[in-house]
Amino acid sequence: MPTSDPKTWVDQHGDRLFRYALSRVRDEAAAEDLIQETFLAALKSKDRFKGDSSELTWMTGILRNKIFEHYRRQSKDVPLGDPDDDRESAFFEGRHWSASDAPREWPQGKAESAEFSVALRMCLDALTAPVARAFVLREMEGVEPKEAAAALGVPPGHLAVLLYRARMRLRRCLEKNHFAPGPA
Amino acid sequence: MSLMPSCVDMARILSEARDSGRPLGAHARLHLWVCEVCRRVRVQFDVLARAARSAPEAGPGLSEQAKERLRRSLEPPTL
Repeated sequence: MPTSDPKTWVDQHGDRLFRYALSRVRDEAAAEDLIQETFLAALKSKDRFKGDSSELTWMTGILRNKIFEHYRRQSKDVPLGDPDDDRESAFFEGRHWSASDAPREWPQGKAESAEFSVALRMCLDALTAPVARAFVLREMEGVEPKEAAAALGVPPGHLAVLLYRARMRLRRCLEKNHFAPGPA
Repeated sequence: MSLMPSCVDMARILSEARDSGRPLGAHARLHLWVCEVCRRVRVQFDVLARAARSAPEAGPGLSEQAKERLRRSLEPPTL
């Protein structure tokens, strides 16, 4: 099945692909480069497009692989940070939750709102890059742990630590910002 | 020595269980049964995962300059 005219791709799919990439790489220039790589890869393989899915879905699949490649490159360039950086220990007193950081009940409806998605995105942006990438791959992209560890260039045990940090820091950030008790 | 994991252990156990797909052990289940705070953590990890998967792509689109650069990159080379 023929694709649409490549001249129309930027206007048809550019914004959607850019938002997808930006939410995963958190850098506008890198996101733009990834879109360019995606369009060029799509141009090269357009004769193989079978039309089983929409053109946008097909391109998103290409972009997803480009993002994984980007992560692999970044993992080589950027040190993963101190594996002993364990600021989560501050959430506990001894072996139990500290009174100030003990998780509170999240009101149900509030956790499914559009505002929650925005707050999650902001909290994700506040994470360090390796921790955020681990969460994006595993929870946003649904990548299996083995594959995610390979994409990040870390052993599976280190991925587990990164995911633990991501979940703990995100839940704390959301509780402080999105679920903060209002003024009395 | 108690076999019951502490809250510190439970936070890690709950995170790792999400990825390993393995069910929680008997001692961890017992801890959850008696510890309301750790039960909340498990629910919150679930909420985070659901929200991450269903989060709509928001934010700015491409700038006009970026669009123009991309259009040019898709043009066939002229000889």
